[in-house]
Amino acid sequence: MSGIATRLYKGDAGLNIVGRRNLWFGIAGGAILVAILSFVLSGFHLGIEFAGGNQFTVPARAGSIEQVEQAFKDNGAVTTTPQKVGGDVYQVKTAALSVDEANQLQRQIEAKFGLASDEVSTSAVSPAWGEQVTESAVLGLVIFIAVVAVYLVLRFEWRMAVAAIASLVLDLILTAGVYSMTGFEVTPSTVIGFLTILGFALYDVVVVFDKIQENTRGITASGTQTYAEAANLAVNQTLMRSINTGLVALLPVGGLLFIGAGLMKAGTLKDLSLVLFVGMAFAVISSIFFATPILVALKAQEPRIKAHAQRVLSRRAAIARGEEVPGSRRARTPAKTAASAATEAPAGPPAAPPKPGTRPASKNRRPGGGKRR
Amino acid sequence: MAPPSDGQMRPGRQLAVLSGLLVLLYVMVMFVGTSGMGWAERFAPRLGLDLVGGQRLTLEAQPLPNGQPPNAKQMAEARDIIHQRVDARGVAEAEIVVEGDRNIVISRAGKGQNLGADIGEAAQLRFRKVLNVTDGNDTSATPVPTPSASASATPKPATTPPARPQATSSPGAAAPAPAAPGTASPAPAAPSAAAARPGQKPMPELLADAKRKVGPAAWAAAEALKTPDTGKNAALKPFASLTEEEVSALPFMIQFNVPQVTCEKLDKRRQGSISGENVRAVACEGSQKYLLDIAKVLGGDVATASPQVAQTGQRVVSLEFTDEGADKWSKLTSEAYNNSGPEETKCPQQVLGNDGHCLVAVVLDNKIISAPEIQGVLGEQSQIDGNFTAESAGELASQLRYGALPVTFEVPDAQTISASLGSEHLKAGLLAAGIGMLLVIIYSFFYYRLLGGVIFLSLVLSGLLIFGALVVLGREIQFTLTLAGIAGFIVSLGVAADSFVIYFERLKDEIRDGRSPRSAVPRAWARARRTIISANAITIMAAVVLYLVSVGTVKGFAFALGLATVLDLVVVFLFRHPIMTMFARTKAFLSPRVSGLGRVLQRDDAVKEA
Repeated sequence: MSGIATRLYKGDAGLNIVGRRNLWFGIAGGAILVAILSFVLSGFHLGIEFAGGNQFTVPARAGSIEQVEQAFKDNGAVTTTPQKVGGDVYQVKTAALSVDEANQLQRQIEAKFGLASDEVSTSAVSPAWGEQVTESAVLGLVIFIAVVAVYLVLRFEWRMAVAAIASLVLDLILTAGVYSMTGFEVTPSTVIGFLTILGFALYDVVVVFDKIQENTRGITASGTQTYAEAANLAVNQTLMRSINTGLVALLPVGGLLFIGAGLMKAGTLKDLSLVLFVGMAFAVISSIFFATPILVALKAQEPRIKAHAQRVLSRRAAIARGEEVPGSRRARTPAKTAASAATEAPAGPPAAPPKPGTRPASKNRRPGGGKRR
Repeated sequence: MAPPSDGQMRPGRQLAVLSGLLVLLYVMVMFVGTSGMGWAERFAPRLGLDLVGGQRLTLEAQPLPNGQPPNAKQMAEARDIIHQRVDARGVAEAEIVVEGDRNIVISRAGKGQNLGADIGEAAQLRFRKVLNVTDGNDTSATPVPTPSASASATPKPATTPPARPQATSSPGAAAPAPAAPGTASPAPAAPSAAAARPGQKPMPELLADAKRKVGPAAWAAAEALKTPDTGKNAALKPFASLTEEEVSALPFMIQFNVPQVTCEKLDKRRQGSISGENVRAVACEGSQKYLLDIAKVLGGDVATASPQVAQTGQRVVSLEFTDEGADKWSKLTSEAYNNSGPEETKCPQQVLGNDGHCLVAVVLDNKIISAPEIQGVLGEQSQIDGNFTAESAGELASQLRYGALPVTFEVPDAQTISASLGSEHLKAGLLAAGIGMLLVIIYSFFYYRLLGGVIFLSLVLSGLLIFGALVVLGREIQFTLTLAGIAGFIVSLGVAADSFVIYFERLKDEIRDGRSPRSAVPRAWARARRTIISANAITIMAAVVLYLVSVGTVKGFAFALGLATVLDLVVVFLFRHPIMTMFARTKAFLSPRVSGLGRVLQRDDAVKEA
């Protein structure tokens, strides 16, 4: 058989993702623990929007960094050391000033360096602003989750809604964790970007769940596959798509990050793209490794699905013992037991060829298409 | 699952619809609402001030004294008043919008005077008796105050309230005598209420500046004036050089008597410079300069005001006072009606109204919004009538209500962006968009071979649609493209490419299942459509929720993301699908070199042969 790339390309990578769900839950749990510890221990590095303060942007041709800093100090401003950021400008942060003080300081600096009026940019933010942004973000988060939950329940079912939102929450916690641990600056733009992850995280999950729904339609009537296997198959089938869309969505954000962080070094673009990049990367991973396993774990509690899984497994065992004729009930993958992607066994490849990621027994398929060796 | 008829769709028709849409959009770009625009201007989207430079102030309403936040109607009134204040300062083309439940955002693109934080101060509504009137134009040759005509000569409707004298009149109620009025003692016209905000020059300093500027001779000449000068006194000339700020510090008698202190300047005085209740003041209505008594009734005494239609069919503004306010109002109107009170606060003959009673000026901030003649001793319920239109009555009522509303604003976010920094932002945003698009296109050519061309074309189409929509929305609903908006569009590139990936992977599935491309396309479409709609619906929901609850630049981001996602659906339905349908009918579709699809088939064939 060809390499993993081709199998991925063809959609039968045959990765046993659902079967190893306890592993993923363990990893996720550990990561959440680390993230929460980091929230508690190191907190977040908040931008001036949350602490309050002023920021001045001075064209670099005004003079050297030292001159600019001195000019601010001479005018009575408490400043940090100016930083040269992209596009030949200095950024100077000062303690909080009133609008009028800021306007005055702006004029004084412009006069000092012989700049035209309006050449110095100012930005004044009070802690109230950061609070307001955060408050509206939290409100947005709550409304979004409520609306989406209703949508998902209507479009799919409540278990899928729960699983999708759990995976969403995981993304958010992990993204926040990365911010907490690395000390990236949190600004209102970061908060915005953070909210945008919501859409993307669910986007990926919806596509996977859509496939699961399709694969498991009427599954209890068939005796060949358990729900877990069908779900695992769906994940495998959409794996390439998940990776593809993840990549394709990350590419423009990467471009944004390159410009924002590389060229501009600061500002809206950098803050937005960084949080999007981190969050979307997590979204791709969690839509594959977390959303579906959670769904299967939830589904396993449903009596109907539980009974069905047992029926399938016991029948398979019977076939293995030779008590039942495989062909009798349209079963196509007789020796699937060991490799089953069901609950317990990891997909150790036994002699039996079909992999857990094989295609479903669809009525319309070409007989044996792509399956024969 | 799709009915087979779905597969028999006519791609030509959908493409025609799309072309129609594009043509319509660009006709709108070029010809709708473009009167008087140059060609380049017609294609210019509205850029935010972070891209072109300018100033943005966010005013956050503080809770009212009762602890409640102002409601939507009060916010709208506040917005109107702030609009008037901004206009009064000669800041042209500022855009002022209520954002969310407590913010008013003032944006001014381009260069110009910076607005200060005092723009958000509470409105100061004062009722002051008119003591004298003069012309507020510097060059005017008719210095004699036009007495009773004063009310009707003003641009605002003459307002003569035929009062309802139902209030128990208490004529001659002892009004607190004001500080010695006519004397030229340089008592600061602006009392403690107008104390300088941090960063503002304090009033005494401004006054000193003004004195220095005009010189001692002019100052002495001004102080010596007992009545308004007619413009003949050359010694007063230096007063013309004073700024609006400095004018606010002048003693009120000088403000009134010196013709070089024009209404134009008086209207632009520092916010709150005549809010002191126990000091006389000078204010203008149109170009009439009024000398006003101390403020005996304040904004807080007004319970509410509303435009109404009287039994006569005339439009009036009805005014309702609080209990305490009604008392003060009765005293003031009684004094004005009877022209009683201490001698120095009586209205001289030439300022009486048509019916021989005093006028009471309604002063909002630095300006008189109405100066009706008092027709009786009035109580809790009063009305102002005049030649109101529905609009002017509504405006006056809303000004009165707002004046009664003790809402103040803080400025939590203020940005000024230089034009060069703005163009830098724009460059960076466009560069990022270009790089993002290039990366997506390279990836799709790499992965989907020639079909990447379909992605490329559809991105170009999306780009055209988005650009057209930006231009039209900028003109029609004032949608402004900001840096965050550009970021939103860049992020949406992912969504656009994604919906293609969904479709295409689905197509691969179908072909792998052994369908011919011709039959695989409609089947794959039927299923992919469902997924694409659900997935895009989620993104749109996120954008809508963000747009509704967010503050600041987030709105632009959310709008851009939502707009791009909706347009993506249009492109998916009207372009990609029909193109794929047409493409599936060609032979080249199955060639691995061309479509990237063939690999699936090839592999299967190889497996079969093995």
